Amino acid sequence: MNGLHIAGLTIEYSSGDYVVRPIDGLNLSVPPGELVLLLGPSGCGKTTLLSVLAGILKAHSGSVRFNEINVGALKERALTDYRRATVGVVFQAFNLIPSLTAVENVAVPLLAAKVPTSKARARAEALLREVGLADRLTHKPAGLSGGQQQRVAIARALAHDPPLVLADEPTAHLDYIQVEGILRLLRELAAAGRTVIVATHDERLLPLADRIVELAPKGTSKPRPPEHLVVGRGDIIFRQGEAGDLIFIVWRGEVELVRARGDNSELVVDRVGPGRYFGELAPIFGLPRSATAHATTDAVVTGYTPKDFRRQMGSPSMADMIIGADLQPLDHEPTGTGRIGQESS
Amino acid sequence: MWLISIRDLQFRRRRFSIAVAATALVFAMTLLMAGVSASLHNEPRRITDVIGADSWIVAKGTAGPFTAATVVPADAAAAIAAAPGVETADPLVILHSAMREPVDRDVNVIGYRIGGLGAPPLTAGRRPRAPGEVVADSLLGLELGDGLAAGGQQFEVVGIGDGITYYFGTATIFVPLEDAQAMGFSGKPLATTIVTAGRASSPPQGLDALGPAEVRADLERPLASGTQSIDFISVLLWFTAAGIIGSIIYLSALDRTRDFAVLKATGAPNRSLMIGLALQAIVLSVASAALAIVLAQVLAPAFPFSVEIPLRSYVYLFLIAASVGLVASLAGLRRAVGVDPALAFGGA
Repeated sequence: MNGLHIAGLTIEYSSGDYVVRPIDGLNLSVPPGELVLLLGPSGCGKTTLLSVLAGILKAHSGSVRFNEINVGALKERALTDYRRATVGVVFQAFNLIPSLTAVENVAVPLLAAKVPTSKARARAEALLREVGLADRLTHKPAGLSGGQQQRVAIARALAHDPPLVLADEPTAHLDYIQVEGILRLLRELAAAGRTVIVATHDERLLPLADRIVELAPKGTSKPRPPEHLVVGRGDIIFRQGEAGDLIFIVWRGEVELVRARGDNSELVVDRVGPGRYFGELAPIFGLPRSATAHATTDAVVTGYTPKDFRRQMGSPSMADMIIGADLQPLDHEPTGTGRIGQESS
Repeated sequence: MWLISIRDLQFRRRRFSIAVAATALVFAMTLLMAGVSASLHNEPRRITDVIGADSWIVAKGTAGPFTAATVVPADAAAAIAAAPGVETADPLVILHSAMREPVDRDVNVIGYRIGGLGAPPLTAGRRPRAPGEVVADSLLGLELGDGLAAGGQQFEVVGIGDGITYYFGTATIFVPLEDAQAMGFSGKPLATTIVTAGRASSPPQGLDALGPAEVRADLERPLASGTQSIDFISVLLWFTAAGIIGSIIYLSALDRTRDFAVLKATGAPNRSLMIGLALQAIVLSVASAALAIVLAQVLAPAFPFSVEIPLRSYVYLFLIAASVGLVASLAGLRRAVGVDPALAFGGA
């Protein structure tokens, strides 16, 4: 079962006093020779996922296997060997060592593995020639362009001829001319039978991929009728981390917004009563829900798409909606008797 | 991984050069302190060797001839010389006086019987043959034939000695016994001690016989607080050097946090990073030590005190410097080991 196999992967970490779960139950299989693009905006967990695949971060749950290696089960020394021999990483900011020449930068992973200096140097020179930098062997990073630095970084990632190559935003600091060369190089890596995972938010890279994995949960932007909910005390209206496409107005009862904290407790973000609204930022910005909404009493709420919500509130400015201005709905509570999950009649 | 450390030293050569210069100055100070301390320890041995006595006869209960103000009759030397085991015995007057001409300066005065024990070694001229003649230490800067006034007596410099000092580098003059008695005892036939070649089986009644080691110990006693202060300053200087090296290595580790993260993320073990940083600290320390030796040689003549740096101090300097470098780099090593490889994934 060669290649990369991710099953039920959940990555969770504390950020300040709350918990973030950028990856929740991810399943993915990538055979050798395939290039997968992890697509999503900043903060959606692309880099975090790469860190787990590189054996640098531990996942909260689930498994990552590469060529039968269970990455999550590796101990410290075995992890170091895995990072060295199995994974090649191309970092977003190149991360070349400024005091070393191009050839020395490429040779570093080999020297760390106690490869004799002459062999390491010969291998580094060969790799740099492969990426088109035969005339830049003795240049230091400061004397190389962004594209050339990225080529050195790719050559370094290939020092041990790893079967898995991870690239984090490989075109982030490059102009369009430099991007062309790097894209061709990445494609060639996969063509050589490697599994290549590229994280990016740059949708221009889509044609590069054999497969695209969108990491950010997306709500639907399609028009839909309002969702009228009659909820009982304790019923959950939406959960933290879910995609969100509706803004809710409370007609009766009270809804509490709570955020999970790092110490397993919950922080009450807001309590919303009749005539007020909640959950507006996720659908407006396409972000996951940043808190869980649950009813603290029997309550009646209606969910609207952002467009319908604006109409319902008398067409306020987007700025007023974002800052949570004291807006009042024009209409009264719609009639209906649906329970949670049921649309109004 | 030594390559990375050496390249980093080259890359940050200005910072490391400043650190080497500062550390070298501190190391040079420790060498000079060691030289001063050695000089203080050498003085008592040297002066007792110059006198060359096998025993020093002093008034009973006297701690030693250099530190006590007790006297013995000079003519006791004849009786002592007649004792079995004693080859010769000569009175010696040991004084501390002020030279008034050609310049005001404190001097040690040793009055000895012409032709007897206590004659000074010379680098120029001759020994006194008659009252009014003196052998002066080169530290006084006098030439043969110069006049010298001390203790109310006028002398002519007929010989020059070298390195004959005691009591924190105070220069010594050697005068005929009669002149010293005139300076210290108003011409009375007294002596501070009777020095002998050969040893009597027991001291004469009412007197004590001290060996050279006891005399040296007596002479070193007043210096103890001085040498302890110097040793304490030396320890402080080692700490200062450690502080300089430690802060430079720590700064280097801070600067290279991203590098360490990348190295870890690409499979470099912690051990390699630690060896690399420790190597930097040792190179820094040893380079500082080498420069310190040169600095110490340059500074020693300008030092207002006798500086005798023992050979072992140079050897110790390299060993201690390397150790200091290693200890000082611990904070940097800790920093390097603690770097999270996930930092490598951060943006620019």
